[in-house]
Parts: sequence; C-alpha cells; structure tokens
Amino acid sequence: MISKNLTAASTKAIILGILKQGNSYGYLIIKKIKKMSGGKMEYSDGMLYPVLHRLEKDGLIQSNWTMSEDTRPRKYYEITEAGKQALLEEKEQWLQVNTVLEKLWNLKPDTNY
Amino acid sequence: MFDLEKALTLWLRSFRKYRAFDHGAIREMELHLRDHMDDLLAEGHSEQQAFEMAVAEFGEISPMADEEFSNIKSKTTISSLIHTAMFKNYSKVSIRSLMRNPLNSFINIFGLSVAIGLAIFVYAYIQWVHKTDQFHENKEKVQLVTFFADRDGSSQQFAKTPRPLAEMLKNDFSNIEKVCRIEDRNVVVKHEDNVFHEGVRFTDPEFLEMFTFPLKWGTAASLKDMNSIILSEKMSVKYFGEENPVGRDILLKFDETRSKAFKVAGVAQKFPVAHTIDFNFLINFENLRISAPEYDFHDWNQFVNATFIQLAEPADITSLEQGMEKYKLIQNKAVDKDWAISSFGFEPLATLHKRSGDIRDGIARNSADNLKSIYFLSFVVAFMLILACMNYINIAIVSSTKRLKEIGVRKTIGASRKVIIIQFLTENIVVTSFALLLGVLIGFFLFIPWFEGLWGFSMGFSFTDPTLWIYLSAILLFTALISGSYPAFYISSFKVTGILKGSLRFGQKNPLTKLLLGFQLVLACIFITAAVTFSLNTNYLSKRSWGYDNRQALFLTVPDYAGFEKMKAVLGQDPSILSISGSEHHIGKSHATSILKKPDRQFEVDQLSVDANYFQTMGIDLSEGRVFKEDYESDKNKIVVNETFVSSLGLKDPLGELYKIDTLEYEIIGVVNDFHSYSFSEIIKPGIFKLADKKDYIYLSLRVVPGSERETYKAIQATWIQLYPEIPFDGGYQEAVWGNYYEQIAIHAEVWQVFAAIAILLACLGLYGLVTLNVAGRVKEFSIRKTLGAGVKNIAINVSRQYIILFSLAIVIGAPISLYLMKLIFSLSYRYHVPITYEIIVISVAILVLVFLLTISTQIRKVLVSNPVEGLKVE
Repeated sequence: MISKNLTAASTKAIILGILKQGNSYGYLIIKKIKKMSGGKMEYSDGMLYPVLHRLEKDGLIQSNWTMSEDTRPRKYYEITEAGKQALLEEKEQWLQVNTVLEKLWNLKPDTNY
Repeated sequence: MFDLEKALTLWLRSFRKYRAFDHGAIREMELHLRDHMDDLLAEGHSEQQAFEMAVAEFGEISPMADEEFSNIKSKTTISSLIHTAMFKNYSKVSIRSLMRNPLNSFINIFGLSVAIGLAIFVYAYIQWVHKTDQFHENKEKVQLVTFFADRDGSSQQFAKTPRPLAEMLKNDFSNIEKVCRIEDRNVVVKHEDNVFHEGVRFTDPEFLEMFTFPLKWGTAASLKDMNSIILSEKMSVKYFGEENPVGRDILLKFDETRSKAFKVAGVAQKFPVAHTIDFNFLINFENLRISAPEYDFHDWNQFVNATFIQLAEPADITSLEQGMEKYKLIQNKAVDKDWAISSFGFEPLATLHKRSGDIRDGIARNSADNLKSIYFLSFVVAFMLILACMNYINIAIVSSTKRLKEIGVRKTIGASRKVIIIQFLTENIVVTSFALLLGVLIGFFLFIPWFEGLWGFSMGFSFTDPTLWIYLSAILLFTALISGSYPAFYISSFKVTGILKGSLRFGQKNPLTKLLLGFQLVLACIFITAAVTFSLNTNYLSKRSWGYDNRQALFLTVPDYAGFEKMKAVLGQDPSILSISGSEHHIGKSHATSILKKPDRQFEVDQLSVDANYFQTMGIDLSEGRVFKEDYESDKNKIVVNETFVSSLGLKDPLGELYKIDTLEYEIIGVVNDFHSYSFSEIIKPGIFKLADKKDYIYLSLRVVPGSERETYKAIQATWIQLYPEIPFDGGYQEAVWGNYYEQIAIHAEVWQVFAAIAILLACLGLYGLVTLNVAGRVKEFSIRKTLGAGVKNIAINVSRQYIILFSLAIVIGAPISLYLMKLIFSLSYRYHVPITYEIIVISVAILVLVFLLTISTQIRKVLVSNPVEGLKVE
C-alpha cells in the first residue's frame, strides 16, 4: 500500500497525466487512478475534488458542465496549455527523484567503511 | 426500508454546513456518489450497501472542507482572478448592458473618447516640442556663446559675440574641439531664370560636423572650399527641381557690384520638423572678405551673429566659464562703456530652444511659447478628462437604480461586496477601453490633422513611439479608476434587504451627483468664457489701430541711394502716388537700437532713420512740435520722439530737451502719436526718429490715392523689372507686413472655440443623461400630475427645478472664477487685449443658459407629449 503522503504528493501529476489523455470527470478520474495503481493507492474519493478545484483555479485545467439527455450531467475537466507545461515540469521532477533513488539502490556497500 | 434519496439529502446537507463548498461543488459530489453507487449496484450490492460503501470510500467531509477552504482563501490573488473566467463573464455582461442602454453608453463612451482624443493630441504636441533639436548628436557638447549686459537697468542675454572671440577661444582652450561662426546676409541668388532674394549663412566648415544635418547628396567637407555652396533640400528643389544639383553653378550677388559663382557641393536632407537652427544656403565664412571687404574680422567692437563651440565633454563648460573673464576685459576695453558687458555665458544646444526666447538677437527659433502652451493644453485636457469622468460617475450612480435588482440578486446568491466592486470596475474598464480606441481615432484623424492644418506643420506623430503606449495605458488606468471606483464602491454598498424590499431609492437625489454636475457647469462656464474672450479679442485686435495709416501705403527695398533716386524719378510721374519717402529703417521691417544719455541716466530706445516725407507717407500723426525739414544739415541733430518716449521719461515739456547719442547732442523737435512697429504682442517701446543720411537709404515707401493700391503696386513692380532685371523685387503692402499676426490670433480663437465646444458638449451630455434618467424615474409622478391637470408650466418647473438652482449656483461660482482666469491668461499671453469685463461673462452665461434650456426642454417636451395612461401602466 502506498503511503498517504506520497499519494497526496503525486496527485497533481497523476490528475494532469490522466487529463492529458482526454477530458474526464471526477468519478472517472478516481476510477482510473485506482485501476492503474491496482488498488495500491489509497484515496478517500472526496479529497480529489479540492485538488481538482485548486488546479482549475491555478489555470492548469478548466471545467465545463455537460448536459445530455441520457446520462447525468457531468462536470468535465480539460487540461490547459499551462497545465501541459506543469505536467512536463512534474514529470521532470519525478524522474529526478526516480534517478536519485535508482542510483541509491544500485550502489554497492562502501568497502572502505 | 432504506430511503436512498433521504439518505443522500442528509449526506449532502452535511456539506452545506461548510462555507467552502459552493452549490456547484456539492452537485459534483452528489453526482460522484450516484455514479459510484451505480457501479456498486451493478456488482450486485443492495442499495443500502452500495450507499454505505460509496460514502465510506468518499471519506470524511471536514478535511475536504479544510482543503477546499484553503482554495477559496487564495481566491483573491490577482493572478487567480485573471485565470478564472470571471473577467470574461463580466466583460460579456458589461457589453450586454452597454447595448441595453445605448444612450448612457453613448454619453459615457463618446464623452470619454473626445477627452481622450484631446489627450492624444496634446501628447503629440508635447512630444513634438520636446523633440526640438534633439536629433543633433552633439547637442550636449555644442554650446552657443552669449554675453550678458545691463540694458535699461536689467541684465539681458545676447546671442551675438564679438568677432575675434571664436578664433581666440579655439586657440586658448584645449577642451574646445570645434568652433563655428555664423553670419547671415541677404543676397540675390541666381540660377538660369530663377532669381530670388535669399538668406545665406556664412559659416565655418565645422558647422556641418557640430550640427547633425546629414547630406542627401555631396560631401560635408566641401564647405572647406571657398567656392562651394551647400543647399537645403527646399532650396535644391526651388532652383533645380528633383534632380541632383551637385556640380552645378549658382550665382550669388552680394550687392550691386559684387557677385560670385559657387559650385553646388552638397544638398542637405530634409530637416526634422522640430528644429531651431537650419539654413537655406551655406558658404565658407571667409567669403565675407569678398562680399564685404570692409568686414573686419579682428574688431572687438563688431559682432558676429553667432558663435558655437563644441566641447570634448559637456562638463568642461565650468572651467570654460571661469576662463572667460579675460575676454570680458578685452571686450570692455574696446567698446564704448555704454555697451559694456557683464559676463560671457553659454547655452547648450539641447536646451537652446527653450531658452532662446529670453536671448536677444538670437538666430535660433524659440519654443518658449510652445512650452507655455503645453501648460495650458495640459490643464485643458486634465479638465476635459475630469469632465468626462464626472459624466461617467453621474450616469453610473443614477442608472444604478435600474440595476438595483441585479445587484440584490447577485448578493443574495452569495456575491460578496468585493465581487460586485470587481464586476463594476470590469464593466468600467470595458467602457474605457472602447473610449480609448475611439479616442485614439478621434485624436489621430480629427484633432491632430486639425491642429496641424491650422499652423501648417507636422508634429511627426507616430504610433511606433513606445512612450505613447505607456501614456495610453496610463490614461486608461487613470480614467478607469477615477470614473469607476466611486460608483463601484457606492453601488456595492447597497443592502440586499433594502433593495429587495424596494425601500431603497438611491441615485436620483445623491448629493454627489449634484456636486459633480455643478462642477461640470462651472468648468463649462470657464471654457465658454475663454472661447468668447478669445473670439472677441481676435475681433478687437483686428480692429485695433496700428497707430499709423498702413492702408494705401506701399514699400520696397532699393539697393542703394542711386537706386532710390532712379525709382523715385520714374514713380514721381505717377499721378496716383501722393508722396514718396526714403529711409534707412522701416516700420515693421527694421530699426536700430540707440542709447540716449542724460548726465544722470541713460535709456535704450528704438531708432528709425527716415527722411522728412516719412511721417506724411506712413500716416504718422504729429501731436506736438514739428517734423523734419528737407534740409539734412539743419535738422541732422534733431529727433522726433513717440508718446511712449515722453511718458516713460516723464517729460512735461519734451520740446527742446537735449540728449546725447554716442557723442553728439540731439534736440527733440516733435512728438508723434504712438504706433506699433511690430505685432500687437510686442509692447510699444520708447522710440525716436532721426534724419537718415541719403546714402543709407534702403527703403522706399509711398502713399497712394485710395483705391489705386493694386494698380500702383503692379506699376511699381513693372518699373522695377525694367530698371533691375537682375534683382528680384522685394516689397509689399504695408498692411500685409503683419498680416500673419491676424492669422495667429485667429487661430488662438479657433483653438479655444473648439475647446469650449467640447466642454459644452461634455457638460450637456452629462446634463442630458441626468435629466433623462431623472424623468424616466418619475414617469408615474408626471403621469399623475398630468392626469390631475398639470400644464406645461407646472411640468417644466417640476422637471427643471432642481437643476435651475444648481445651475444658478454654478454660474455664481463660475463667473468670477472665469473672469479672474481670463484676466490671468490674457495678461500672460497678450500685451494688448480686449478689456475683460463683466459683459464677456454675460455673453458666456447667455450661451450656457441657452444650451442648458435646450437640453432640458427636450426632456420637458418628452414628458408633455407622453401619454399619462402609458406612464401609469409602468410596473
């Protein structure tokens, strides 16, 4: 199980990543995250919404209510250009963390020690 | 039995406890839960199980609320404001509300844009004035040499310099890089059939290095060559058309006997519009030896028109100033002590245009008047902008009554005061932006071409100027804030309960509205008074007597006394010529300056050397004594003075008074009425007439029989061409000598008329808007009055009562202020002007009243013709 803090820290990147693949709404986003993490990321569903709202406020995503005859109304989120940029930065940062960790794991024990 | 809807409602209600969740967010969560339950139901869970699982997975509400609340708190940062769609929304709303109230929008946008158009015009003017001479690369290093001397008890600055000074400066100071002298002479220029009188500049070759006048053709260094001449572009076109004249010959006739052929060696590019120093023809300074063999280059007693120096560093000027003392001693030793100088000084080229108004005998045009105009114009524009903003404030406040419900509803569904303020400011920025756009167009296509057309020049205004954009943004911000903030704060302060209960009646009786309208009327009063005064003044000055009879008087210049006699002999036979006179100076054209001495004091006076016929020919009336006799010898030590001379010297019995000029003693034999030698903008100075030595005659003036001016003028020209085919005719009607002065003052009047028209327009727009809104808000009242039998009078009084009081008050305040301001402006701008009295104010007030009545009467008429039945049906 992935810790709460780590989950929280990665939410932004994950949401942006999902939206990059196409517009989506809250419930669907959560469903995708759960599916992709194989249930390893523990979420309380509700916490997703403040994050979405914050991203919208920061101009990284934008929303649109879609009404249709046959389904419920949905508030669809869409990634903006600024959002795509932010996603690139996030990716960069996560990769850097990853690189550091990988180097560490591959390090042989120091013989002089 | 499990009731899903009830459970959901209860669950959602727990969200509503938190302010952080707005309606949209709660709806979003409800939909989430329903979606989730759908999935769980599909997996085979019961409805209750599905609900409980979904709620559990959704998590606790309070941490969500905390998160969401921190989002809201950060809502007020400007960047987040811009990122939201709010502005887009507000802009849309404001454009719609603009379309809904076309009249109000027109008043606001048009008023603001006229004021902004004016602001852009003033900007163009200011940048033009400040650009003057700034194209010279060495403008900080090049300095004009001047000197100070006491004249009539005050220290004055002169732009000319003793002739040998330039060369000595160059030799004595190592930090002076370049020196150039300038001497101007009038010559006759001849190329093939083109023969004209022209001004030629004799100067040192450094001239073109010190001043930045790039050449279109030829080389600047050719000025070193004694036989080269450099033309301005204008002269090149005048003599050679569009072709390149380099290498062509051009003849300069210095006088009757001396002339010299020059080779065109260069043509300057067109001079930038804003400049103080230029040239038509440039030739090497040494040519003075040919044109004027008597010209003494080493005489400290003689002056050269101007000397410019170029320093290695602008800061070197301090050491130079200290070193000038010895030249002062040399100079003062050489000249008569009356002309002693007190010190030498320097004026940098960069600021010369601002200063040269105070420098006597300067060769540079000055922009002191322009700088003065800048202050006037800036004031006018500031007031116009304020007027337009006031219109906006008034209309916004009054029309807010129409929008009370909108504001009420907005507030009820949760808009905070801040949001309302932002909404109104956004609306205002939209309006101002429209106005700015329209204003730029008005300024660029209307005001600037109008003004350039008036004065016949181009201000070189362009949209590529970066400071223009800063200025425009500043105007946008200024007008948006000034006009928008008060209404925004005022309207947003309305209490919802009051609005919705209908107990609020804001707007119509707001004291600030009254105050602003009153202020507008005062301003309008001032502008109208200005326009009236300037118009009257133009009329007054055009009728003002010049003090002598300039009608039926003609003049021409002659090469010398022989020429005078030749012309006189021919013209003397013309029966329509009543008298002929010869002179060394001529009214409106030239004079000398003399210093008159008494044992205890001395005075500087204007001196005209004329013959005995001059007074009769020019129509100068004698008030006392006699004029000169024909006999030169008997009257050569006599003078005739003007009245200003007598009054400024406080003479009781001027006849017989003796004065010394240089070393000779002169006696006053007559006093003539005062007359204007130059334009009315120059004060009449104490003046004397002396008998001219015949050999100095260069002017021939004549008086003709009324009605024959045109024929005689033509006859004189014909005679001239016969006698002097080589020399172009130079003369004219005496009336036309200062003809362009009338044009100038007429322009002043026109400019102020335009300003007044704009001010009246703005005030009327404001008034019209207010009255319209007021009447619209009282439809029911007027309908009832009409039903009960109110007549024209009653309605008229009811509509206009509050405005009449305000209007009267505005006039009571505005009239004395206008009068005071006019006195101030006119004493600053004119030496002689129309007396400023209450009659002018009466005319202005009458105009204002008329316009005011017209404005109000449109609304009274509207009420009168309206059907009270319709009026009562409203709401």
